[in-house]
This record gives sequence, structure tokens and C-alpha cells, in this order.
Amino acid sequence: MKHKDTLRGKVAVIGAGLSPVGRVPGRSPLWLAADAARKALAEAGIDKRAVDGVLSSHAFAAPFHRFSIAFSEYFGIQPTFSNTLQVSGATAATLFAVGAAAVAGGLAETVLVVGGDSLLTGLSPDLALRSMTESRDQQYEMPFGIPVSNTFAMTAHRHMKEFGTTPEQFAEVAVVHRRHAMRTPGAQMTAPITVQDVLGSGMVTSPYHKLDCSLISDGAAAFVITSAERARSLGARKPVYILGAGECYTHEHIFLMPSLTTTGAAVSSRNAYAMSGYGARDMDVAGIYDCFTGTVIMMVEDLGFCPKGEGGRFVADGQITYGGAIPANTHGGLLSFAHSGMPGALFHFHEVIRQLRGECGERQVTGAKLGLVHSLGAGFATNATCILGTEDTL
Amino acid sequence: MITFDEATKKPLPTPDTDSAAFWSGLKEGKLLLQHCLDCGNVQYYQQGMCRRCGGERLEHRAASGRGKVHSYSVVYRAPGPAFKRDVPYAVLLVELEEGPRMISSLVGAKPESVTFDMPVQLVCEKASEEITLPRFRPA
Repeated sequence: MKHKDTLRGKVAVIGAGLSPVGRVPGRSPLWLAADAARKALAEAGIDKRAVDGVLSSHAFAAPFHRFSIAFSEYFGIQPTFSNTLQVSGATAATLFAVGAAAVAGGLAETVLVVGGDSLLTGLSPDLALRSMTESRDQQYEMPFGIPVSNTFAMTAHRHMKEFGTTPEQFAEVAVVHRRHAMRTPGAQMTAPITVQDVLGSGMVTSPYHKLDCSLISDGAAAFVITSAERARSLGARKPVYILGAGECYTHEHIFLMPSLTTTGAAVSSRNAYAMSGYGARDMDVAGIYDCFTGTVIMMVEDLGFCPKGEGGRFVADGQITYGGAIPANTHGGLLSFAHSGMPGALFHFHEVIRQLRGECGERQVTGAKLGLVHSLGAGFATNATCILGTEDTL
Repeated sequence: MITFDEATKKPLPTPDTDSAAFWSGLKEGKLLLQHCLDCGNVQYYQQGMCRRCGGERLEHRAASGRGKVHSYSVVYRAPGPAFKRDVPYAVLLVELEEGPRMISSLVGAKPESVTFDMPVQLVCEKASEEITLPRFRPA
């Protein structure tokens, strides 16, 4: 840990909200974000006028230069702290880290963390993909027709070569996520699938088949975070505390990634664990960015849940579901719950927070007190980890 | 917002002040790497300073054009309309003999024939009057 005086335990999540997710036609990214925000505020029991900070991700389907500012206008508030963060898929965890730092550092008292987009109905499928590919470098990558999926595929492919990871093990990740989504109200994909279904779903970019890839969805999530003292004075019900945060940025171009099979998640998680005072073994539940099946296999290694190279066997042994070492993405993840671009990783936060509050019904991981959320993006260029815990873990 | 017309055009690089020499080298059939005269670092792509030591005494030298496939992915579903006619095609992460890695794509062989560590050779392929792209064929 770099600094002794950290934000550990100083900031709490006191409200969480989800818009409808999946296919939500006729609703703009701003409406979705505002819908999630009013639900989060209602749960926190505070009025929108009590919000003095707003942090958001960008939206592909509402290409404002300053989404957080456009959101505040739409929602009818005038915050005194705001920013729109952009580190691709890792943005979600950085919203929590920066929000917590802002509260702990006195820049704001109550921050609304929000993201919404409508990739499914707000853009045509080709243009949605195109908007993703434009995130790759226009000189040294895009002329060769490399979608962002291809960068992740090359890391998974190399993982197969180095560690013997198999397409069946990748497929098992999709099967587990679908099984989880089947118990999540509102999930986009709930029909059961098998390993054979995944392997037979048609190649998208080798080694990934269609069902190895995350969904394209509409949807938003929002959270209210405030100081631990204020959470107590408001009498917040079951606040969830931010115990640790870490980030790591290793490259911009995929060809400058130091190793295709060990990512910046190893560093971001190590820093987050160190701040929290806990380790991988202590985690009861996890939200792991699952843009592709192989991503989860690499992440369970880099986040410290199993040794490097054993992620495939770890998943096949049932370790990322109920009864395993680390039940992950119990809502179904980006693979089966919903993936509305950058807000998609906020759904992992929503699920882990609900788990820590014991509100997941038949999905509940019994006695969950500590949770990890890891978000990443841009071919592992960006990695950010948050550790969350209940009052008991402070 | 992106229009459909724009999305059907293949993206071609627009050389900038850092990269103009690189793209003009390719027009002459040379893949230029930057060699740092201060620390010996060899880098791809081109920029105004050495990524390792920050030095600005960088010399362009043509790569041998030989390399091997560090990783790859065969694309079956095109990233947008511009690449629809090309599928399936193999995107390569080539490790050059001189050390640096680069993204390219395979020519002169079936995309499904790519394997890890396969030796490959540079092919300079004209894409427009201004731009020649560095692709690779089996060596």
C-alpha cells in the first residue's frame, strides 16, 4: 500500500438503483440513468437536492462530451463536484474510487455514481459495433479490422497456448453465468444453455463463439455514496463500505501489452486488497468483468483466487458458483444479465452490494460480508478493483 | 454520431507528425523501426521520444521483415460493414525479429492455417495512393 491514510471505511454506499435492462426501446440513455438515479435516491431516503456530486460514464448512444453534466441538467440538479470518467470497461470501479476519494477528501458530501446507455435499441447493431471499434487506434490497429473483441480473443488464445486452457472451459463460464441469470429478475437472457450450445453457436473471433461474448443491451445503474458518518446520521439501512480500491494501466495498444496472459488486474487487485486489509481468500462474493468467457478465467487468476494458468480448471471445478471458492457474477454478468456498454460493469456493483446487504433472495450467498468488484476494458489496457464490505468488516 | 456511409468505408491511417516517416517508408517497401541512439531501445510505433529513456535521438532503420506469430484471432463476424466482405480473416500479433510486436493481418494463406509461433514475412500492400499497409505471409 502506497499511503497509510486512505479512504478505507470512510465512505458508504447507501442506495442503489437499476433501470429496466435488456431491450428497453423508446428510452434514452439519460432517461435510463435518471430512472436508476431516482430509485437509488429513494432507497437512500434522500432528496435529489441533497446530491452535491455527480460522477458518470460516457454513453455511446448519447454522445455528449460531458455526460455527467447533461445528466445533471436532465435530472434537475446543479452539483458542485462532477466529472465524466473514461477508462473504457474499467470506468465503473473508478467511479466508486474517485467518488469515495472525493467524499473522503471533502470535495463533495453525497455523490451520485451513475451510468446509462442504450446500445441495443439506441444504435443499429453494426453501428454499435463500429462505435466499439473506434475505440481502437486508427493508425496501427483499426486498418487491419481488429474489433475490441479481437484484442481480448488474442489474450485468450495465448492463454490456451501457454496453459492448455480449452474451449470447453471457456464455454463453462457462459453456462455458469446463464444459470445465474435464470434466477435474476429482469435478466436479458434466461434460457438454459450447455457447453455444446456455446461451442455450436458460431465463431465470432477465434477462440470465441457467439455465446462466449457478452450481450448488447440497454440499461442504467446508479448509486448514492456518502461519508460513513453521514450514513450513520441518516440512519441508512445496511450501508456497504468501500474498503479498498486500486487501478492499473499497462498499455494503450494491444501490441504493447507486457504479457498477453498476466494483466494489470494483478496490480490493481493487490493494491485494493492492501488498502482493505483483506485478501482474495477473505472474499465471499465477486463481480468480475465478463466481457468474454476467457476474461473471467484470466481474472480469477490475476485477482488471486487461483494460481496463474489454473483458471480453466478452477471454473470447470465449479469454483465460481455457489458452493465454490468465489461465487462470481451471481446476477448473470455481462454474458447473460445485461451489457449496456460502460454501465454494464455497474451491474456487477449492484449485485455485489445487494449480496452484502443480504437482499438477493434465492441468489443469496449465505452470510456474504466481503465482496470484490473488478472492472476492466480496452483489451486489458485498463483495470480497476474495489473491495466492499458490511459494517462488520470495518 | 456515425452515419452508415462512414461505417462502410475501411479506416485508413492519417499520418501525423510522429508517424509520417513510418508511413512513407512503407510506400518504399520498408517497415521502419525506431532505434534509440541513447539507450538502444527498439520501438514500434513511431513517436517523438524513446518510451524507455525519453531520449530524442531516434534513428529509423528498416526491419528485416521477419517475425513470428505471438498470438492471433480469426475474425468471422466483421467489426462493422467495412470488413464484411473480408471475413474470415486472420488478425496477427506479430513479434518482429528485432523485438517489438505489432498488429497486422495474414495474406497469402488460408486464415485457418495460422498457428502459434509460425514464421511470417512482411508484405507491403498498397491500400491507397498515400497508404501502404504492412501485412504478413507465411515465411
